[in-house]
Amino acid sequence: MSRGFLRQPQARAGLLLSGIALLAALAGPLFAPHGAADFVGAVYGGPAQGAPLGYDYLGRDVLSRLLLGGWSVVWMAFSSAFLALLAGTVLGLVAAYAGGRTDRTLSWSADVLLAFPNLILVLLVVALLGRDPWLIVLTASLAFVPGVLRLVRSLALGVAEQEFVEAAELLGYPRWHVLLREILPNVLTPLLVHFGSMLSWAVTILSGLSFLGYGVAPPAADWGLMINENRAGLQAQPLAVLAPVLMIVLFALGANLLAEAVARSNAGTEQR
Amino acid sequence: MALTWTLTSAFGTRFLALHGLAPWLRWLGGRLLAGAGAVAAISIIVFGATQALPSDPARMVLGPEAPESSVLTLQRQLGLDRPVAEQYLRWAARLVQGDLGSSLDSHVPVLQLVQARAGNSASLLAGVLAVVVPLALGAGCWLALHRDSWFDRKAVSALIALKAIPNFALGIGLVMLFSTTVFRLLPAVSLLEPGRSPWSQPAFLILPLATLALAGLPYLIRLVRSAMIEALDSEYVLAARLRGVTERRVVWTHALPNALIPAIQGLALTLSVLLGGTLIVEVVFTYPGLGSALNAAIEMRDIPVIQAIVLLVAAGVVLINLGADLLTVLLTPKLRTALGAQP
Amino acid sequence: MTEATSRRDFLRYGVLLGAGATLGGGLLAGCSRDAPPAAASAAALANEKPRQGGRLRLGIVDGSQSGNLDVHKPVGSGIIRGFALYSKLWEWNERMTPELALAEEVSINANASAWTIRLRKGLEFHHGKTITADDLIFSARRLSDPQLASPYASLVQRIDRDNIVKLDEYTVRIPIKDGLGFLPLPDGWVNFGGIVPSDYHPVTNPVGAGPYKLKEFTPGQRSLFTRFNNYFKPGKPYADELEIIEFKDQTSRVAALLAGQIDTAYAITPEQIVPLRANGGAAVQISHTHGWQGFEMNLDAEPFRDVRVRQAFRLLANRQELVARALGGQGRVANDLYSPLDPTFNHGIAQRAYDLDQAKSLLRSAGKTDLRLELAAGPGGSAAAQVFANQAKLAGVDIRVKQVDAATYNGPLRDSWTMSTTARLGGEFLHTATNTDSALAATNKTHFNDARFNALFEQALGETDVEKRKVLVHEAQQIQHDRGGLLIWGFADTVDGIASRVGGAKPERSHFSTWRFDELWLRS
Repeated sequence: MSRGFLRQPQARAGLLLSGIALLAALAGPLFAPHGAADFVGAVYGGPAQGAPLGYDYLGRDVLSRLLLGGWSVVWMAFSSAFLALLAGTVLGLVAAYAGGRTDRTLSWSADVLLAFPNLILVLLVVALLGRDPWLIVLTASLAFVPGVLRLVRSLALGVAEQEFVEAAELLGYPRWHVLLREILPNVLTPLLVHFGSMLSWAVTILSGLSFLGYGVAPPAADWGLMINENRAGLQAQPLAVLAPVLMIVLFALGANLLAEAVARSNAGTEQR
Repeated sequence: MALTWTLTSAFGTRFLALHGLAPWLRWLGGRLLAGAGAVAAISIIVFGATQALPSDPARMVLGPEAPESSVLTLQRQLGLDRPVAEQYLRWAARLVQGDLGSSLDSHVPVLQLVQARAGNSASLLAGVLAVVVPLALGAGCWLALHRDSWFDRKAVSALIALKAIPNFALGIGLVMLFSTTVFRLLPAVSLLEPGRSPWSQPAFLILPLATLALAGLPYLIRLVRSAMIEALDSEYVLAARLRGVTERRVVWTHALPNALIPAIQGLALTLSVLLGGTLIVEVVFTYPGLGSALNAAIEMRDIPVIQAIVLLVAAGVVLINLGADLLTVLLTPKLRTALGAQP
Repeated sequence: MTEATSRRDFLRYGVLLGAGATLGGGLLAGCSRDAPPAAASAAALANEKPRQGGRLRLGIVDGSQSGNLDVHKPVGSGIIRGFALYSKLWEWNERMTPELALAEEVSINANASAWTIRLRKGLEFHHGKTITADDLIFSARRLSDPQLASPYASLVQRIDRDNIVKLDEYTVRIPIKDGLGFLPLPDGWVNFGGIVPSDYHPVTNPVGAGPYKLKEFTPGQRSLFTRFNNYFKPGKPYADELEIIEFKDQTSRVAALLAGQIDTAYAITPEQIVPLRANGGAAVQISHTHGWQGFEMNLDAEPFRDVRVRQAFRLLANRQELVARALGGQGRVANDLYSPLDPTFNHGIAQRAYDLDQAKSLLRSAGKTDLRLELAAGPGGSAAAQVFANQAKLAGVDIRVKQVDAATYNGPLRDSWTMSTTARLGGEFLHTATNTDSALAATNKTHFNDARFNALFEQALGETDVEKRKVLVHEAQQIQHDRGGLLIWGFADTVDGIASRVGGAKPERSHFSTWRFDELWLRS
């Protein structure tokens, strides 16, 4: 898989763009000149000496908050995508392998959840139960689980029919062994592609939630929250909104491109 | 004798056809039931969530200066002091009779409120569909036919980039571009006059429509494109080409119908995403649709309205998915017979 | 508006509480309004005659409540609609004191425990019925009706509603319960005491005597009104139609104002001043009101039981910075006391200065050097809460800001918060105290319950002599300043956006420049 991967322009662009965003998010706190809650300038002040991106609606340094605000977006996006991946894979494998009633129940539940628009579901839960970050992560991952479940289930069913699996079973290997050694590796690559897509959806949902005012609560620094807080002053100080928007776009774009690249490099190769 | 036989065989075929129809109907019935179950499950979950809060609609309605006695009176009047399960069952019972209750906030009957807003949202979505479907099909097919050309590569990159921009950023950008900062062509806020159809005030629809369309197009165009590419690369198309069928016929009668199936599923998914997208677009443009009504109802803990809108949205999504599956099923045998009848 | 009295023992209400005219006049310097961008000279403006006709459109942002039309139980934006639909016995003048409107003459007895009100004659409701004493009695009883459960009934809670006496066709006497005094009756009445006919119904028959009649009402979106030709002020209102449009957020409302979709926008946020000034078609109008913003410290919770901690908190607040950041500079510093325009206000209490060292030493002496507490920030209070939390850090106090939404802010938890943000409209002392930290308050988040303060307050409620009342209020305010639970850091300006086609709008001490529907007119 890795052979042709890095040759593709998508992969290189994806790594670069998401790399910038991730670097800002993860290493940013080390370079931020001020704290997230430090009031250092005039309200909606323009770019000045020591504050290249100007000041926000309370007079805090936009650059500092930008560098400090990526972490929450990144960890929440990764967590919800990863949790969804974990839960969805387990449930999908169980559904595919157990079959029968379990399969039908799980599939029906997945359809129920899938039926509901993600953002509305997350909004309802968060707005009604509170803006706790872990609650947001859990609900967002809940929105993604059915997609993973169906993907894994159909892939696993496809693989399970193949001869080498039947052969393994005839040879007496236990079920879990078959699952892990035979089915899982074949499911991995499409899952990886889906993971990339989930990351960018997660970022979209999280920033949409913040835009509506239900994301991470102030005074935390968070890209989505920055957009919400400074939106009123868009004409006075556009950088306070444009900078976090750019970061979010870079992150989502990078994740998408990487997912594309993985999909393409896998399209040529079939794993045994 | 021959006539009787012909008639019997005619009836027979019809009977057989009906009998062949029955499992299909059973499938439909099963799906409808499953969908209804899903909708009910969602409504229970949402109702439960609305109860989990340390506040209630009575206080919201009366405001911060209300004395305790006023609050208690209103609570009793609204039936909020009953146990949760009882409140839900009463709501469900009234629903079955067609009574959705009244808004706790404005006392307008929920049906009236939701109808007006739903009409606005439906118009918006219908408009988006009318724009997106032909555009996606057209652009997707065109790009597939000219794949790997310079234009195709640039277009795909542009679509990938467009997809990464959050839809509220798109909306705000469009407002700045066409309403307030660069040009002053279009209204910034969709102040639809209540009572009139949105289509009679088209200027208010343009920007929200554009935002939603731009949000949904990238995924759909790329889906149609890849489905079309796959169809063009498939064996029967190759066979048709080898048989000497003209390229035009290959595209229109062989490749395109097969590309439609994944496109329909993709459209259903996009509609589902767009429903969530309208929530944001309606906030940005103050568009009086279901999304902004839901947002307001959540903030006000207006439980009857929340329940009604959630019900409507869930039912809508279930029906959309059902419709997509149905279309797929209907299209497939047709395609098979169409192909069978080819020279 | 007030007319000369003829009988010796009738005290002119206008003199009593409106004596602040001279005081208010002095403070008037400081209201500002941008010159309209069109090159209209001041002289031309002064000679402008109000023009009749057109549709005046006001844009409001008032949360997500749909609002209603009930005169005595307005919800959310219902209050603004009430200004269009209903007239009251009094109305706010531009100094935010009640001025006679539907009432021709009001007199009170020696301790304000009986109010005799005489209506003007020949006035009508929207449907033609003459306004009489019966309607007045009906309205007073409706406002205070426990069945209606209006949250504003508490403002007139002392009325003895069962013993209102009709003296003649136009005159009524309203006694106060237990013979106690209740001077702030008009203040409470102005916003919520609309006079309606006995056949009034908030949904099917929302009839009043206001400048505009209802034409259409779509809850949560907009309402449309048409001119009432028999309004009690002749020649007014000017516009043929009035439309009140509700927006969900500030940015889209300003966009609508800039695009010409609305004519006036009430209370815009300071950062919107920049785009408005940059644009040609709309002006920014700043009214220096005395609506105040502050924090309420719960005296029944730790650590605020100790007066030293309360004082320390008041000292560590950098009020200038709070005004600069939380109000965008649009406001003035306050001294933990409300109602500075009230003639009885104690101007002798020196402005509390920012003193971090004193604050720290007070905390040390109280043994609370490592405080941690939660500050509940309601809608609109987030900015102030964050700024204050930052300031508190310098004194070693760790404040965690908890943003709560409107439903939770008004919910049952509000009585138990250690500290919360608060904001009130400007008004006179007795009226504000009735609402905020006195024994009469329906919700008293500070749980302030000082015996001496309560006694002084009770006495002041019935003291009709301004000078004597001044003495009482001065002492009461000193108590509030020394040991109360309010940290009032600033007075906020009301910034309105006014399109250039609107005439008749002027900055005021009240908040209601854009709500004077009978004064505004359209130039085109």
